[in-house]
Amino acid sequence: MPIATLASDTSTHLLKSPNGIAPGKRPEIPAATLRAWLSQMSLIREFEVRCMQAYQDKKIGGFCHVYIGQEAVAVGCVAALEPRDPLVTAYRDHGHALARGMHPKHCMAEMFGKIGGCAKGKGGSMHMFDKANNLFGGHGIVGAQCPLGAGLAFATKYQDEVINSGKSDCVTLCFLGDGALNQGALHEAMNLAGLLDLPVIYVVENNGYSMGTAIERGTTMAHKITSKAVGYGIEGLEVNGMDVVDVYVAMKDLIDRCRATSRPAFVDMRTYRYKGHSMSDPRKYRGREEEERYEVEDPIGKLEKLVKDKNYATPAEIEAIYDGVKTLVRESIAWADASPVPSLDELYHDVYVEKWGPYTGTSLPQMLTEKP
Amino acid sequence: MPTREIEFRDAIREAMSEEMRRDQRVFLIGEEVAEYNGAYKVSRGMLDEFGPRRIIDTPISESGFAGLAIGAAMYGLRPIVEFMSWSFSLVAADPILNNAPKMLFMSGGQFGCPIVFRGNNGAGGQLGSTHSWCVEALYSNVPGLKIAMPSNAYDAKGLMKTAIRDDDPVFFLESERLLSLKSDVPEEEYFIPFGKAAIRREGADVTLVSWGRPVLFCMEAAETLAKEGISCEVIDGRTIRPMDWETVFASVRKTNCCVVVDQSWSFASPGSEVAAQVSQHCFDDLDHPVLRVHSDDVPAPYAQNLEQEMLPNPRKICEAVRKVTYRL
Amino acid sequence: MPISLTMPRLSDTMEVGTVIKWNVKAGDKVRSGDVLADIETDKATMEMQCFDDGTMAKIVVEAGRQVKVGTLIAMIAAKGEDPATITIPSGTAATGPVAPAAAPAATTEDADETGGRLRVSPVARRMAEDAGIDPRSIKGSGPGGRVIKRDVQAASTNVQSARTPIDTATPLALTRPQVVAMKPPTPTTPASPVAPLALGAPQGRVVALSNMRQTIARRLVESKQTIPHYQVTMRFAMDELVNQRTKLNDALAPYGVKLSVNDFLVRACALAMARNPYFNASFAGDHVVVHGEVNIGIAISLPEDRGGGLVVGVIQSADQKSLRQIAQESKYLADKARSKGLTIDEMNGATFTISNLGMYGVEHFTAIINPPNSAILACGAAVEQPVVRNHQIVAGWEMQATLSLDHRVIDGAMAAEYLRTLKELIEKPAMLLV
Repeated sequence: MPIATLASDTSTHLLKSPNGIAPGKRPEIPAATLRAWLSQMSLIREFEVRCMQAYQDKKIGGFCHVYIGQEAVAVGCVAALEPRDPLVTAYRDHGHALARGMHPKHCMAEMFGKIGGCAKGKGGSMHMFDKANNLFGGHGIVGAQCPLGAGLAFATKYQDEVINSGKSDCVTLCFLGDGALNQGALHEAMNLAGLLDLPVIYVVENNGYSMGTAIERGTTMAHKITSKAVGYGIEGLEVNGMDVVDVYVAMKDLIDRCRATSRPAFVDMRTYRYKGHSMSDPRKYRGREEEERYEVEDPIGKLEKLVKDKNYATPAEIEAIYDGVKTLVRESIAWADASPVPSLDELYHDVYVEKWGPYTGTSLPQMLTEKP
Repeated sequence: MPTREIEFRDAIREAMSEEMRRDQRVFLIGEEVAEYNGAYKVSRGMLDEFGPRRIIDTPISESGFAGLAIGAAMYGLRPIVEFMSWSFSLVAADPILNNAPKMLFMSGGQFGCPIVFRGNNGAGGQLGSTHSWCVEALYSNVPGLKIAMPSNAYDAKGLMKTAIRDDDPVFFLESERLLSLKSDVPEEEYFIPFGKAAIRREGADVTLVSWGRPVLFCMEAAETLAKEGISCEVIDGRTIRPMDWETVFASVRKTNCCVVVDQSWSFASPGSEVAAQVSQHCFDDLDHPVLRVHSDDVPAPYAQNLEQEMLPNPRKICEAVRKVTYRL
Repeated sequence: MPISLTMPRLSDTMEVGTVIKWNVKAGDKVRSGDVLADIETDKATMEMQCFDDGTMAKIVVEAGRQVKVGTLIAMIAAKGEDPATITIPSGTAATGPVAPAAAPAATTEDADETGGRLRVSPVARRMAEDAGIDPRSIKGSGPGGRVIKRDVQAASTNVQSARTPIDTATPLALTRPQVVAMKPPTPTTPASPVAPLALGAPQGRVVALSNMRQTIARRLVESKQTIPHYQVTMRFAMDELVNQRTKLNDALAPYGVKLSVNDFLVRACALAMARNPYFNASFAGDHVVVHGEVNIGIAISLPEDRGGGLVVGVIQSADQKSLRQIAQESKYLADKARSKGLTIDEMNGATFTISNLGMYGVEHFTAIINPPNSAILACGAAVEQPVVRNHQIVAGWEMQATLSLDHRVIDGAMAAEYLRTLKELIEKPAMLLV
């Protein structure tokens, strides 16, 4: 049963907090959990800021899409998942990788093109993979991850029910941007998911923009994108993505339901990115005052306020969290700097599993083979 | 080994069924593979044996179900994806070219893609240009995938079993025109490794290199040429990636002449690759430049006479052989 | 630690940037997230954001200047530092705009146009080389006259079947003479003898070898290393020949023709081939190629100013040419070699070679076989010396000639047989006239 949605604040496309849950019915999140979420979100924030700096210092090349402003989505969703549940996303993937548990040094090293990166430097910013934490990428082509998400859900269900003769007990989270709503791959995937009862939840990180195109210029029913899921017989949900508690509460309920019923779902996760689409985007398509309107919704600021209001941490403890995060990122950058570039042999490695011709087979990255 | 004569389509079904009995992770997915018993009856009876959880009908949604299968392969299952025709694989070009062959590399060795894509490839049935694709030229350019192209039922079974057990993505190119052809296939299990060509006919005057249905054209041409006193050695490559270069080079060093027969269009094709490699590695052994026989550089026509003329037919092969052996 | 602000890379293709406007000045407090300046890039005008907290200390690059990405443009004093004390680090002068990288010169593959008229398929070329057959001597049946495998196969069989058993009874067979029109040669003087050594210590120096001399060096080593050489020497009574030569030269004087002893030797060697065909042959691995044409190479020494060393000029079909023709031709070749130099055609195709050091007074020496020949004749001087004739010691003209032979093709008995034939022709030189 979908959570009833409140009308959006007309000055932004965001949803009001607490997102339709009646006051008093909002579950209490333990202090330690909120502090942990604050630490994770500020880690993602600091990491992404330093990524921007590193990109401008030419240490990161190619494309770089930062997650600044959307931290609550990754952290809240991952908190609602079990470790065994697969997660797949598009190219704005650093936040998901860190939230799932990748050490920032491997994430940064990957972007620096070093052997210590999660993909040995051969993937780059858009291809964060982490087998130990069930993170299946990191994909560059818009929408391509959507059939993959359906496939992951198919696979967990097949393993649970066909191979192990049990009951499907996994849910796959497949993240996409509002731009991907227009790709055929998503629609084919939703059709297949609805038809085959695949336990995959498509979480649209709806930040209102597809690069430079505002959503209403590219998508029909832009004001109510859940209608697209309804067309496939799939349950749709609208969630306030700027409040990590709202995200967690809504997603936990949905994930539990999908796990039990082995049915797909679709989430319109309203959020906002404070920076451009990528590093070369000057954001001319929106004004300064729009951005200022959204700055007050900063999810980290909101959580910090909540933690302070509930006395779950003193200002000094909060400062210590932030300092700890800054130190961790600084050390990760130093580690990534020191990691060597891949040797030229890596060119012909990991192309095929089999060794043949000039190809030298495959092996796991340092991230998975070294002791933490 | 006792053998029996079975059709090409039966050989593929036997391969898939044997592997599915052995390994639960293997499943078949595609349009009409289950309840229709296969658009070309390749999967006939498999739904009855393996059930709807393992023989899965899909809607007409190539991009979607190809991507779905790749996601499943990343997780550890071993899907066989049927394209009703390789012409339809173009709709799924992004997942099959951008995801399957590159996943292992992009993830730094973390996630492979042990998947088999199979279907009919090639012209000759008057199906019109959009249904008559020969995709080997398009896809063999891409590193990270393998391509197998059997010419007979025996090879079809052995290569399919290898393809399913292979941990890398395999494009398995069948042919509607070959599905009913019979040959002797052993009852016992056997495998044909990738990268090992077969010499279908030994000869002294010219080396013919080919894959798939055109191998049969070569054999027909060889019969005609034998009556003219030209002895042809016919090499069936069996796989394009990997390609058995050693067998080809050894043959050319013996005959000093080479003609490659490839049903795709000639520009940047596997045939052109053979010509380049033979010219490079057997330069001092050639009595004549390597000639290529391809389909004519035009979309496949409907009219029967035009379509037959377009193919790399035995007449064109004979002409090329007479040229390289200076028997005009 | 003061913080250096450098021109940031605000797009993936940006190489240079211009500060359009600074939003702060020295002394202003700045915080992480503040927009410090507007920067014009290759794509758009972008905001430059601050990543740290502190105070602006110095603006190094003013608005309006274009600098390379990475150039120092401002300094920020960190918390607790006095902006006034910040100095610009040395060696960070702003660099100007980047000159566009020069496009690398396009390398074009040299069109493999040899310009030569000879077309041979790769395998035919290799087979011809192995058989010791010059592909130019084979008629090509391929397009454009291309020599192909079966042409070489046919040519090899033809050569093979030319081997006939030695018939000592049959007189030397002569076919129609070939007339070669030559321009009248000018009289030559023999190469000047080597100047006497100057007194005093020799000067050490490095002498570069010309390509030809390097090639000669290589071929000589190859010959000695691969051919099992052995030598057979014979003495020849030269009295008759010397007489014959004098008489003929008298008769030929009005025509400006002068016969040398070597010319007689050339003809004699050529005629001797008919009875001793293996001297006109080449070793080819598992077979011997006996050549149809008798082409005698004569060794011609070159003066230092022409690079020194020696070349072999070839008298084609010497068995078909008269003494006069041989004389004219060898003179022509020697002169040309020492002036303009010989063409490839004039230097190729010898099937037997003669080297003569007689004019230097050398009595005896051995020569190195000129591959792919199977033999070479080294002739010494005709010397007047005591000899035994009719059991009497008299003064007579004697010459020593030494054959160097390829034992794979010619054995001792064959060598002796050849020298016997040669002796016949040289000691009864009238035989050279018919």
